[in-house]
Amino acid sequence: MSEAVGGTVSETESGRAGAAVIQVRDGGIRFRRNRLSRRSFKDLFAGTSRRTRASEFWALRNVSFDVAQGEAIGVVGRNGQGKSTLLKLVAEVIFPDEGSVRVNAGVAPLIEITGGFVDDLTVRDNVYLTAGLHGMKRHEIDERFDEIIDFAEIGDFLDTPFKHLSSGMRVRIAFAVISRLEEPILLVDEVLAVGDRAFKEKCYRRIEELLAGGRTLFFVSHNEKDLKRFCTRGLYLDKGALVLDAPIGEVLARYNADYGV
Amino acid sequence: MSAVLQARQPRSAFASYRHSLWLLTTRDLKVRYSTSFLGYFWSILDPLVMAAIYWFVFTVIFQRGVGHQPYIVFLLTALLPWMWFNGSISDATRAFQREAKLVRSTKIPRTIWVVRLVLSKGIEFVVSIPVVAIFVAISFFTPTPAQLHWQIVLLPVAIVLQAILILGIGLIVAPLVVFFRDLERAVKLALRFAFYASPIIYGLVDLRRYPSLEVISAFNPLSGIFALYRSAFFPAELNWLHVGVSAAMSLVILGVGLLVFRRTISAVLKEI
Repeated sequence: MSEAVGGTVSETESGRAGAAVIQVRDGGIRFRRNRLSRRSFKDLFAGTSRRTRASEFWALRNVSFDVAQGEAIGVVGRNGQGKSTLLKLVAEVIFPDEGSVRVNAGVAPLIEITGGFVDDLTVRDNVYLTAGLHGMKRHEIDERFDEIIDFAEIGDFLDTPFKHLSSGMRVRIAFAVISRLEEPILLVDEVLAVGDRAFKEKCYRRIEELLAGGRTLFFVSHNEKDLKRFCTRGLYLDKGALVLDAPIGEVLARYNADYGV
Repeated sequence: MSAVLQARQPRSAFASYRHSLWLLTTRDLKVRYSTSFLGYFWSILDPLVMAAIYWFVFTVIFQRGVGHQPYIVFLLTALLPWMWFNGSISDATRAFQREAKLVRSTKIPRTIWVVRLVLSKGIEFVVSIPVVAIFVAISFFTPTPAQLHWQIVLLPVAIVLQAILILGIGLIVAPLVVFFRDLERAVKLALRFAFYASPIIYGLVDLRRYPSLEVISAFNPLSGIFALYRSAFFPAELNWLHVGVSAAMSLVILGVGLLVFRRTISAVLKEI
């Protein structure tokens, strides 16, 4: 997977097993520390020097790694160490301030999972909307619609406005839609925590199915058992830096040694 | 279904842009019309009520000294496009905030968040045009019937120019509001000012009496656009200098908008 470094990875190359589908080079992104206090007009006219850069911090910095197609990667770290930020960079919903993030294949992101749904529209409309926004054509959704509804076990609520659904049901629908996108890369943030145990198990089986089908997985979790179940490789993030990039067992051992359970 | 990796046929960038844009636009319209009983009626009721008020104030109370006859047609020909302008710009101040979760979870081209506002409000505008026809028909039974002139062919030009202008302003306003919350209020204020500063309740012809005002109003890109709309019934309103200035300014504003949007979008995504 290192042969792609320096050269350009073309779309065709990325489809070949072993080629890097995700390439992060010296990736860095900074946020303002105090997200609540928004800038006012005063800042606008205060000039750049007085706009206090000190209140910014690097959520991630100097992060570099390659991911080959079919790899299953677990991201480990304490709260606020940049795990979700890394996932969002890979999903390309935010952009790095430094370095580059290249993703050479379609991404099915299970992050901010129930965000795309509209409260006033029915389950049916919402499924079409979300799948459509993630790039599915209408006839493709038509073909998969029954499967999605079966998987979410939501058949009785097809014409119910979304706002009347429980949070568990929302997550089910979201997972059912996103996992049917059939994109080569699957990103999973800790969104499945809401579902009941039986549904969670169902989702996990689906993830395993997708992995067996050659998909690439990016998985954020605090659950060691889940990480070991899916992932072969681990990324350990601490204080915005990539501390360790190694097989998942090693990464978990290091994490436990640092922050003992 | 097998889970074996098989990439779906990707579509071209333009096709997927159009697809996402259309999805969000129809969603907007669907939400608006499925949640309220009166649906379509609401989108024309607002300009109708406003037109009724202005008609009453300027023709009954003040014995109208401005505009052309029939005044209600004169009003509506600028008031309806104003509603489009006003609605999209004030929605643009919340373009990212209201859809924050969706913006954070999908990577569709970000300009769509503004373009869809222009489009959905624009569709509402187009479907409200028959209202003008109704009042034109009514005016046939009055001493001053409205007359349709060949300038009606300029309608599409006006729509395109206005879409360019709204899009440009929207692309500037939408990202900046995320950083400067005060801007939301400033925009509201500016819109109220713009309503009276633009030839809506009066016409460009009325400004001839004040040469300095006429010069200033030429730099209001809305003057030329409204003049185009109005020329269908009131050809005297058509002033090609105003139209030219409007077109040039709209294009410049769109250029600035695209620039501002491109420069700020990555910060916007972090902020919301």
